[in-house]
Amino acid sequence: MAVARPAFIDEVRQSEQFNASACMNCGVCTAICPMGLEHLPREIFRYVVLGMEDEVLKEQETVFSCLLCKLCEENCPAGVHIAENVRSLRHYFDRKAFRI
Amino acid sequence: MNRRKIGVYVCHCGGNISDYVDVEKVVDAVKGEEDVVVARTAMFTCSDATQQEIYDDIRELGLDGLVVASCSPKLHTFTFRGVAKRAGLNPFQYTQVNVREQCSWAHTDDRQGATEKAVRLVRAGIARTRLLRPLEPTVVETVPKTLVIGAGIAGLRAAIGLADIGLSVVVVEREAEVGGWVKDFGPMYPRDKEGHELVRQLEAKVRQRENIALFTSAEVVRKAGSFGDYVVDIKTHGKSAMTMQIHVGSIIVATGFDTYRPEEGEYGYGIDGVVTLPEYKKMLDAAEGPLAYHGRPVKDVAYIYCVGSRQGDAGPHQYCSRFCCSAAVHSALELYSRDPSARQFHLYRDMRTYGRYELMYRESREKGSTYLKFAEDEPPAVQKGADGRLVVTIRDQLTGQKEVRIPADLVVLVTGMVPRENDGLVGALKLPVGRDGFFNEIHPKLRPVETVVDGVTICGACQFPKNASESVASGLAAVTQSAAMLKQGRAELDPQVASVDPGLCTDCGVCYETCPYDAIRPKEEPEGRRVAVIDPATCKGCGGCAPVCPERAINLEGYTQAEIKAMIEGLAREVV
Repeated sequence: MAVARPAFIDEVRQSEQFNASACMNCGVCTAICPMGLEHLPREIFRYVVLGMEDEVLKEQETVFSCLLCKLCEENCPAGVHIAENVRSLRHYFDRKAFRI
Repeated sequence: MNRRKIGVYVCHCGGNISDYVDVEKVVDAVKGEEDVVVARTAMFTCSDATQQEIYDDIRELGLDGLVVASCSPKLHTFTFRGVAKRAGLNPFQYTQVNVREQCSWAHTDDRQGATEKAVRLVRAGIARTRLLRPLEPTVVETVPKTLVIGAGIAGLRAAIGLADIGLSVVVVEREAEVGGWVKDFGPMYPRDKEGHELVRQLEAKVRQRENIALFTSAEVVRKAGSFGDYVVDIKTHGKSAMTMQIHVGSIIVATGFDTYRPEEGEYGYGIDGVVTLPEYKKMLDAAEGPLAYHGRPVKDVAYIYCVGSRQGDAGPHQYCSRFCCSAAVHSALELYSRDPSARQFHLYRDMRTYGRYELMYRESREKGSTYLKFAEDEPPAVQKGADGRLVVTIRDQLTGQKEVRIPADLVVLVTGMVPRENDGLVGALKLPVGRDGFFNEIHPKLRPVETVVDGVTICGACQFPKNASESVASGLAAVTQSAAMLKQGRAELDPQVASVDPGLCTDCGVCYETCPYDAIRPKEEPEGRRVAVIDPATCKGCGGCAPVCPERAINLEGYTQAEIKAMIEGLAREVV
């Protein structure tokens, strides 16, 4: 069972631009991703907003495979700043996983 | 007896009837009935062309009776009454025979039987029509005054609307203060006007108007009379306790709703920190900055939606309360405005922030609210954690059904609306109560504020869950309806009512108890006799009293003992 840790989102958030909770989980991003990344970004954002840190840490490969092409962001009906959010996540991995 | 001239029209209904009933055969069978001078079939009797044909027949042949054999009388009684009236035939000398719902549709497996039955039904209709007398509507003069029951936002606004149209208004409120639920509300969407401010404005307008009399701590205890001139007893409580009697032409019921009170243990209700939406709103409205509960700061809030609404087959509240999704999201925004760093989790079944309330839903997500959907059969569980905080457990559908435990400082149960207990008033006004306990209108689309009791309209959340603006809109609809009736100065009532033959009545008293409308009362006759008398303005023509009378002294106009007997003979001619 996962325990939600609401404070986790504040550790990931790097700027005011970070708006993972605006996501309405429609899945357009996943469908449109040229890299065919299954878990990006819908589900990872979900783990972030629920504070499920263990689940986020499993997604290192996915987070760094993103091209930041913004195709998803262009097509997002909820106005989620996906590329900016992914940058925030990379920064989180840098600190947490790579300790840099 | 004088000869009658009756026209009979048998409808194909485009095949709905003629696919199973041989309509030509029906016409052949009845055209020789006594007093029938014309009998025809029509593809659609309700069409303009056939209506014109009937009109011409009435004029040219001088018909004094009309029989239409088509669909249910619920559908077209007023259509053909209209045809009769336009052509100069008294509309009450027409009979609708139902050969669709009660014949062709019911007997699709037996065409011959269906045709034979249709012949009998039409014969019965002809037999009744031969005896029908012309009737004129009962005309009553209306009192230009309306009683508004309930001084919440809908009732207050309705009272002002009526007064400005030029009608006198009496407002009766059970509580000591006016304003209902709204008087306790803080900022309301979309302009952040405070609820108590809205009520204060309305109350000031009510008090400015000389033609509005407002009684608080008062109740309606009895209603007599009939539409246009209802006699209502009002009882006031407290210091100036008294009972008074007023005459009003119409009544608007705006008695509002009650809030659902969860059972002990329902979603953890009873645990310290689990509160209902109204309790939470009070806390929010009182808080200037970040929220605290019993001295502890409130950072994490979990909302559980649909508490006491959409209960499925098991519960009494199967409806959606409509306002609560928007109200909960609005509360979340209110909390963000006091504490932008608050973390809010919304556990919902379906989000129904309809119309422009969708914008609040979006805004709440942008500000950080997280929404988690749960299934009806797997509701979230609320428990007290080891650290004294609350923990809500839910299976999150969007992460592949992962079970998530959400820590919370406060759990808000988003409780819906339930009908307000009002047995006394329901009894006094004979208000129609639906299965869900709310009051029923006649027609949800076309007659949305009228009830089956003439001159009694309903509005606001006593009808079904509504928010403040919807309540006011329906209040003003009730104003229009009331004013339209009263401004004519007179009302026409259906003349198909019951009456007592005083010569036969023995004052046995059976009928007094039968009447659901209190229309039958004893009357002293000059020779010291007492007989039952039916007030034609109060009688609804339901016919409940006629068969219970042991002396057969009661006749319902249009369905007299003689007419019913003739119909039975027409139906059963070759059988008995």
